[in-house]
Amino acid sequence: MTVRNLKYSEILKRNSDFAKLLSDTGYEIKVLSNIVTSQLNEILEYTLRVDAIPAIVKSGDYDNIVQDSLKYQNSNVIIIFLELSNIVDGLQFKIELLNDDQLDEILEKTKSEIDLVLKNFEKTSLILINKFTSIHFCSSNIMKNNLEELADQLNQYLEMRIPENVRLVDLEKVIANVGVEKSLDLRYYYSSKALYTVDFFKAYAEHVKPFFMSANGKAKKALIFDCDNTLWKGILGEDGFDNIEMSPKTKDGAIFYEIQDMAISLNKQGILLGLCSKNNPADVDEVINSHPDMQLRNKHITINKSNWSNKVTNLKEIAQDLNIGLNSLVFVDDSSFEVNMIREQLPEITVLQVPERLYNYPKMLRENIGLFYNLSFTAEDRKKIKMYKQQVKRESVKKEFTDIEDYLASMELKMTIHQDDKSIIPRMAQMSQKTNQFNLTTKRYTEGDIKNFIKNEESMIFAISVSDKFGDSGVTGLCIINFHDEIQSAEIDTLLMSCRIIGRNVEYVFIDHIIDMMKGKKVNVVKAKYIKTQKNEQVKEFYDKCSFSLTESTDSVRNYTLDINNYEPKQLNYIEVINGK
Amino acid sequence: MVNKIEDRIKNVMSAVFEIPADSIDDDSSPESIESWDSLKHMNLVVTLEEEFDITLNDDEIFEMINYPFIKLIIAKYSGQL
Repeated sequence: MTVRNLKYSEILKRNSDFAKLLSDTGYEIKVLSNIVTSQLNEILEYTLRVDAIPAIVKSGDYDNIVQDSLKYQNSNVIIIFLELSNIVDGLQFKIELLNDDQLDEILEKTKSEIDLVLKNFEKTSLILINKFTSIHFCSSNIMKNNLEELADQLNQYLEMRIPENVRLVDLEKVIANVGVEKSLDLRYYYSSKALYTVDFFKAYAEHVKPFFMSANGKAKKALIFDCDNTLWKGILGEDGFDNIEMSPKTKDGAIFYEIQDMAISLNKQGILLGLCSKNNPADVDEVINSHPDMQLRNKHITINKSNWSNKVTNLKEIAQDLNIGLNSLVFVDDSSFEVNMIREQLPEITVLQVPERLYNYPKMLRENIGLFYNLSFTAEDRKKIKMYKQQVKRESVKKEFTDIEDYLASMELKMTIHQDDKSIIPRMAQMSQKTNQFNLTTKRYTEGDIKNFIKNEESMIFAISVSDKFGDSGVTGLCIINFHDEIQSAEIDTLLMSCRIIGRNVEYVFIDHIIDMMKGKKVNVVKAKYIKTQKNEQVKEFYDKCSFSLTESTDSVRNYTLDINNYEPKQLNYIEVINGK
Repeated sequence: MVNKIEDRIKNVMSAVFEIPADSIDDDSSPESIESWDSLKHMNLVVTLEEEFDITLNDDEIFEMINYPFIKLIIAKYSGQL
């Protein structure tokens, strides 16, 4: 049963059963994305665990592809899910009004990001990158628009650029398999930056599975055919040499002609071909050697078990003779009896049955061709890359980032600080209620609470909004401070940032500013704490990084003190600070 | 039939929140189920939709804040609870 036929709840259930069997050393896959793709994780885990790959799939931070490329270099596989419409927030509609210079800037920015990410993952063994697609927004367009043009240019760049450890995933094929309508759940696109349905993720997991099978040495190595009604139409022993059909000139013959042709093409890619059929060996030999319509000849067929023994014995011998595991074999037969017997007695073998509607036979084989997929970089791939490279020689000098700071600097980040700003009370309350990850104390406040902090002389509330050259992310950070003037000390009650802006080092500039402000208010000592929750592990050591000293630490709370004269500001000059209201 | 729909809802919730189905009762909500965060809520919505072959609207998604409400909302579609 493939993943596509299972309900998501069933996948979750079975996957947690698998999880109990996993040891600590899993096969680590990281999904880095600029949209929310968390539903892919368990679906892909399950898809791979079914075939004994102990996959552990985790998402990176939201929209932190570049930053995460420094963190996850040791993962087994990286999947990069860079969604075109969210390269810049709302690109799918904004792009049509941009001028050529602005378009160029987005194109160059994205290329540079791809370059930097690939450079950071230079030593990672496998990276899958989704090709760009605009199909969700353009499938009914008659004229090509800017979004489609951008997708084309970026794809061309990817094809030209990919190093040997990278493979491209053609998202449009996955979307085509599911249907545009069924692939997208726009409800969550506008509210949570999640774009795809579980149906899409199921199809995606199936689509990329061959990469993982190959990387784990589980690609199939041999394709074994029955003969009668599998390689040709008719029964050789009854209908006779002259009456079996595999000629392109007859209706059914054309189908077997196509099957034989596909087999030969697989053989050219290194897949071993074999026969396993109940027939007189001499009869089959005669067809192979001298039937005018037969395309499979002795040079293609590595092993031939045409005899009267049962097929279980024959297939076992085939595996032995070829010196490969039973799980490297794919067997094709038309008879339900044989198919069921092999599936039951030799479950390691992948068995394909010739469909009852014969015209579906080539399609069925094509759909299973991924079983034989081999990751190794072929001479053909090299040639193609060379071709692309020549084609794109015109590519002029492009800005290349040397490191992450350089990259962040290019974003032209600006941080606006709002101090005790009544106009954003609802947003501040909302952030305190919703932020889980970058949240040091996770105290939840209502609008009334926030109002009190503003009114109260002994406390201050700061919010920040962050923008870069492509847009403004709105109010995305909050800090609440209580002052104890009589003892010249202050306490950080709340410090949080929305995950939209994590990874840009804005938090350090925010803290620099807050400490600066405290100095102005003659504060000597600052107290702060980290309160552990299920979600905020990532900021456990935030204050350590900001030169606070840990004074007390239990399992759930870490208390800090800062002698303000010992504070070492980070002074990140690539983020401009603007004093708002 | 009544029980069957409730069982199906519990089954879905059990799979999504990784808790035993028999631990779900009328008090089950994001406060009592630790793993019930906004991402899991999204999973809950799509799994229920798949299970009952329905499409929930924005208000319903917003209102599904505990087990009794989920039952009520699903009942609207099945008319059988």
